[in-house]
Amino acid sequence: MISCTEFIMAYSELFAFIEERHGRAELDRFWEELADEFLQNLRDLVAAKGLEGMHEYWTHTLTEEGADQTMTLTDGEFRLEMHHCPSTAILRRNKHIKPYKDYCDHCKVLYRRIIDPFGFKCEVTVHDAEHGRCTLRVVPCPANLEEK
Amino acid sequence: MANVHKDFHGCFSFGLRFLTANYGPEETEAYLRRTARNVYAPLIEALRMRGLPALQDHWNNIMTLEGADFDLHFENDDTLVLTIHKCPAISHMREFKYDVCEGFCESTRIVNEEICALAGYVTETEYDQAAGRCVQRFRKGGAE
Repeated sequence: MISCTEFIMAYSELFAFIEERHGRAELDRFWEELADEFLQNLRDLVAAKGLEGMHEYWTHTLTEEGADQTMTLTDGEFRLEMHHCPSTAILRRNKHIKPYKDYCDHCKVLYRRIIDPFGFKCEVTVHDAEHGRCTLRVVPCPANLEEK
Repeated sequence: MANVHKDFHGCFSFGLRFLTANYGPEETEAYLRRTARNVYAPLIEALRMRGLPALQDHWNNIMTLEGADFDLHFENDDTLVLTIHKCPAISHMREFKYDVCEGFCESTRIVNEEICALAGYVTETEYDQAAGRCVQRFRKGGAE
């Protein structure tokens, strides 16, 4: 069994493996399928509670992961400021691993794909990939709303 | 104390299913062997240098962190036996309704085999995925 404490390294290896052997388009397809089929808990929370559901989802996952972050929630915005991403910290700390070069890209693909169709605009801005600093910002955007 | 986010088991299972469904079981195995070589390079080195006590420490740490129901002991002084009575990964995925891919337990056998082969050890993994149980044996042997 690969432990969940070793998963991030295996995940980075998976991204590198798919891109090297099957191309970047296939890696994007993997992330899209992961968003569509795996992250149902985030989708359910966004559908039921909107911005508040996002706050609830990341409060749970980032507490378990031990992230150094700040979340703010208002009527018109959910903002997650990641000061030190726990995943990139694992990749940086384990120097025997060569991290997948675009590791942070998966967050951009996954979360936009889940959140935007509920009538929001999700932006992920990576400030420093090596040190795991980024901002995830979500605001209402009725034009993105898709029929369910 | 390491942070434990057990949903990662579901994500790993999803990745294995994606590889097998799209590229076949040979690609899944290639990925697992690469992951074993790269992710577990320090464990492979420790196994070479310290022998089975290194693996004993590894499994003890991992299974304790994961809250597994397990037993770890030496048999005949030369074989390390890990018995998992209730797999923490499978239990978590079932509890939270994540798909447990068909080859989930087989991935353990492949990763173990690659780690051991590179360190000069042999391993056997007997598993019952439906029951979430397995017995893993490790002993010196094979070519380094």
